[in-house]
Order: sequence, then structure tokens, then C-alpha cells
Amino acid sequence: MTIPPIPEHGLSRRGFLRGVAGGTAAVAVAAVLPAGCAPAYPEQRADGAPLRSLTPKEYAVARAAADAMLVDVPVAPEAVASAIDTELAVAGDPMRTDMKTVLSLMEHGTLLSFRGRRFSALSADARRAVLEDWATSRLNLRRAAFQALKGFVVFFAYIDDSTRGLTGFPGPWPERVRIPAYEVDFGEIG
Amino acid sequence: MIIQGSGRTDSVRERADVVVVGTGSGGATLAVYLAERGWDVVMLEKGGFFRAEDFSQREEEAMADFNGRRGLDATVDNAVFLNYAEAVGGCTVHYWGDSFRTPADRLERWRSEHGLDWMTESELGPHWAAIERELGIHITPERLFNENNRLVRDGCEKLGIEGHAPPTARIDCIGCGWTQFGCAYNRKTSQLITTIPRVSKAGGRIYSDARVTKLLLDGGRAAGVEASFVDRETKAATGTLRVDAPIVVLAGGALGTADILLRNVEDDVVGRRFYINPHYFVWADFGRQIDNVNGIPCAYVVHGFRHVRRDARGRYAGGGYIMLTNHQSPAIAGVMLNGIGARHTAHMKRYRHLGSLMSVIDEEHPGRVFLGKDGIRRTEYNVQGVDQLKAIDYLKNAARIFLAAGAREVWIPDVYGTTVRSEADLDGITLRSVQPNAQFCAGSHLMGTAPLGADPTDSFAGPTGEAHRVQGLYVADGAALPGSVSVDPSLTIMGVARHIAAGLHERHGREGA
Repeated sequence: MTIPPIPEHGLSRRGFLRGVAGGTAAVAVAAVLPAGCAPAYPEQRADGAPLRSLTPKEYAVARAAADAMLVDVPVAPEAVASAIDTELAVAGDPMRTDMKTVLSLMEHGTLLSFRGRRFSALSADARRAVLEDWATSRLNLRRAAFQALKGFVVFFAYIDDSTRGLTGFPGPWPERVRIPAYEVDFGEIG
Repeated sequence: MIIQGSGRTDSVRERADVVVVGTGSGGATLAVYLAERGWDVVMLEKGGFFRAEDFSQREEEAMADFNGRRGLDATVDNAVFLNYAEAVGGCTVHYWGDSFRTPADRLERWRSEHGLDWMTESELGPHWAAIERELGIHITPERLFNENNRLVRDGCEKLGIEGHAPPTARIDCIGCGWTQFGCAYNRKTSQLITTIPRVSKAGGRIYSDARVTKLLLDGGRAAGVEASFVDRETKAATGTLRVDAPIVVLAGGALGTADILLRNVEDDVVGRRFYINPHYFVWADFGRQIDNVNGIPCAYVVHGFRHVRRDARGRYAGGGYIMLTNHQSPAIAGVMLNGIGARHTAHMKRYRHLGSLMSVIDEEHPGRVFLGKDGIRRTEYNVQGVDQLKAIDYLKNAARIFLAAGAREVWIPDVYGTTVRSEADLDGITLRSVQPNAQFCAGSHLMGTAPLGADPTDSFAGPTGEAHRVQGLYVADGAALPGSVSVDPSLTIMGVARHIAAGLHERHGREGA
């Protein structure tokens, strides 16, 4: 077997979306659309959510995405957005920077696609339409952003015990039955 | 002795015959072999030390505690989720325990294509037999079959497709079903509860929360490693650890080993072949509650498609994968299932009605591992060419099996909501379903990033496991495998590691080390 040559890659901290076709240009656009160019984002203040990794704008986008994606799920979108914020603070890079880029692109991608309004300012139905449009887009960039956002939102919704009534999941065994573990002698533990 | 590095702020210096980086299938198997034969062994593990009482079976805690990058790692375009563990015991902490010997055709390929003449059943057989005995590996008994497993078996039998119960590494398993979050009952015979305690009691020192920062080299020879103790929560470096040893064995998994080598060794073979055995997940709604949250995830393996079939002109005609019965916890299943909004909620309401299969695609196009300009380890992997055809063939055959088993409908969880209710619907499964980010795809059999082989231009290490260009530096984990195993690679890795350990002991003995 011969080894293929390694192509040059300019992956920076925003590597995730640069890894897909069109990603570099999209990231460049997102980079010049900082929170400051948009109206105020009062959601975080209204929710009283102290932020550890997201900006108020990014929090508002995550919250808006959760609100659109989760229908009849007994978890508040602000709880999901806060969980995403906390997780990204702990996970660090590259995940944190990647997701912040996704949120920025999602917020302003609606402007780029001539919808005329930011994602977080759309109605829930319109946000779902945008998300479904991105999910089935011919551009891997948009599908990648959709999958990343959906993954975070759904995961942090369904880890909530309040969803067990919806799924019928009985919960982890250690919470329901007491079964002793076999003894293991690890020797000395320091 | 197990020494937990989290929170330590001191500087520790060790001297040993051998330092083993990584405590999973490869590292622990090699370490126990040497430790019980008198070698002074030090092991380093990047992740934490967790025991049965730490395994809450809560998915968010398991993902954060011992999955690499908190369970959030993916390829650069987010198209493939990478599932690997960082904890004492390595990937065996969260693996399913499936324990296959390497298929004979794969050993033959590795002998002929990579010059690994020792990769024979007669050489590896005694090592596998010893490991199987020590881990209590046995064919999965009927009592561990849940209804999903039985339904898949029924479907295969109706269609005449070959399948069987896999060998599994468990003793007195209670079938709680959540082995991938760590066994809360010490019934899965992971390295954590088998070989690691033996290394500890044989005088080995096992440091958890110790991240290797530097390979120590002396005149072209390995001389040890430097590491940082890391806080288990924040991953911030605190204290330091230096281990001087004339033999360094890297066994941190295909990603961990590649990460260390890319930072420390000039060798452009490293990371160039990255195999993952792509996993796609098919879900089937049986219209009634089936028990797929208890019982072990995989009690039945569909083997009938492992070999690629070609037509008279040599073109791909099917096969090239196996299927494993599968179940997932609600949040992870939710990520995999199609749709958003009301459609997704409707899917989740049928969670207890769902059977599932996952693929292990024996890929022909590997990806790669590399360091970005920011110094962060990245991966690139595209399911492409014939591997996409294999994925489509798998999706269709998985749907056929579920329909034969009585499923009301089968969900191909792509973004298009492809649903199969009859054979006629199978034509709806096309290339678009397996394009990047069209559906959830994962890799958990990570291999090949520092492969063994006789040719130094095509491999990182020679047949003994020793690096071609650095004396005393060995590789003995998934990174060392020359290619895809085509089945769960854990027993292959253990067998290869034990062979490398036996070679070390034979050549050096305790005194030589």
C-alpha cells in the first residue's frame, strides 16, 4: 500500500467548519458579524442565566434553536441553552470555538439567505423551517452546522429526568435497584 | 499501586524497566505480562480512575467522565463522531465486551501486505487462549438476549442470513444493559478490574490523570517520558511526573498514541491511516413495547455480509460489513433519530418500541490524524467510494432483516426521513443518505495510526512493535494494527500486545531491560 501525500490544511481554531467545502468563506463572514452589530440580546438577562462560555447573542441563538427543535418536550429551552453554555465552558477547544461559530452562522445565515431577519428573531415555525432547510442542504457546511446544533440541543434535553415519561425510559439501574458490585482488590490506592 | 494524579501539585520522578502509556486493551495486557514476570512497570493514564461505584449509568456523567473530549469529539467536518475512552482501563471501560479473534483472512492480508509473518493463528492462538481464560470470555448465553437481539436473529433466520452470538467478556452479567457507561457491578471483565489490579499487586505503579507531554530521547533511543498531572474536572496541568525507562510502550489508543507521536517524533507515517469501522444506526418500530433497554447491547452479530461480493466484471456487488444489535440511552438515541420538532418528539415517544442495528463497515479508505496549526489534534475521515456503497448495502439489508422480523416500519435516520415499510421502499436509500452529515455516523474501532509492518516507508514500527527509527520505543495498541480488523478489534489488540510483550521478555528478560 502506498501512502497518499498529506494535503496542506490551514485548520485554525475555527477548524470544524473550515473542514467542509465553503467553510472558510462562511467562517470569514461569521467573523465579521460580531455581537456588536446586532441588536441587544436580552434573553440571557431575562432568564437570569450567568454565562460561562457563550455571549448573550450565542445564548439567545442556542435558546431559540432549542425552542424550535423541542416540541412538547418537558424541558425549558433556557435550561438547554444554559447546559450547552456550561458544557462548552468545561469542554474547551476545539468544541467551544466550533459551536460558537455554528451559533454565529445560524444567527446570521438567515440574513445571508435573504430571509431578512436574524434566526433568533424569527417565529418558532420559521426557525424550524430554517433548521430543516439547513438539515437537507446540498452544502455540507449547513448540514454540519445543523447536526452539531441538533446534537447539543437534543442531548441536553433528553438527559433531563423529566423526559422519562415521554420516552418510557425507566432510568439507570443504580437509581432503581440495589445490586452489589463484585469486590475488586486493586491493591494500594494512593 | 494505583496513584491518582488529579490534584497533585508535586513533581514525581520514577525509574522503571518499562513505562507503558495507556491502560486499555493493549497497554494493560502488555503490562501485566511483564509485571508478573518480574519487570518493574510504570503505567500512565491520561484519564481518571473510576470504579463500579462511580458508574451511575447516567449518560451525561459517563460521557463527561471518561469519554475522550467529554464525548464531543468529531472529525473536522463533524461528519463522524469519534467514540473512545480516557480512563484507567481505557476503552474496555466502555466497550461492549465483544471479543472476536482476528479473522484468518485478515491475518493473511497482514502477512502478505505488511510482512508481519508472525500474524498466524498458531502464533496468536495461545495468547488469545490465555486472554480468553483470564477474562472469562465465552459465547453470549441465551439469557442475555433481549427482544431486539431475538428479533434480529429471527429476521436473519427467515432470510437465511448468517449470524451468531458473539464471544463476550463478562462473568455473571446481570444484563442491566448499560455496559457502555462502565459496568456498575464489576461483571464485565474490563482491563480495569482484571489486569490493572494484577499489575498493581505485582508491584507496578499506575498513575491516572497523567498526560504525557514529552517523549524523552537519548541519542536516538527512547529514555522515558515526561507528563503532567491534570485536574480531573478542569484538565488543567498541576504537578509533573518524569519516568526514566529504557523501554517506552505507547498504548494510548489510535488517537492518543498518534497525538504523542505527532508532537515528538519526525515520522510522516504517523496518522496517515486512520481506520474507524464506520457505524450507521438503523431503527425499527415494532409497534409494541420491546425490551431493548435491558440485556446486553449486542448478543447477536450478523456475519453474513462480512465479505465483499463482486460481480463477473469485478465491480462491487454487496457486503463488506457486519452488523451488531444495538441499543442506546435516550439522549444518545435522540441525537441519532431523524427530525426535529413534533416529528422528533413522536420518534422519541416510541423509544421503547424500537429495535436497532449498527454497522461495522470494513472500510477501504482510511482517514487521517494530524495536528492543526493551533496544535490541537484533529481528524479527517470521509466515508467515500466503495465504502459508501457498503453503507447503502448495509442500510438496505438491515431494513430487510427488521421487516422480516415483523417491524411495522424501519427508519433510516437520515435528514430526509427515509422510511421503509416494504421491499419497494428500499430504492429510496441512495447515496444522498450517506453523504457527510446526512445522518449520524460514528467510529469506535479506532486503528492504524502508527502501524506495524516490515517496510519502514509504510509503517511506523517493525514486526516486534519497536519503532523503525527510535530504538526502545514500542507501539502496542489499536494504533499498531496495520488496517481494519473488520470485527471488534479489542481481542486482536490484546493478542498483538501480548505477543509484543512476550517478544520483549524473550529478548531482554528482566536483566536486559
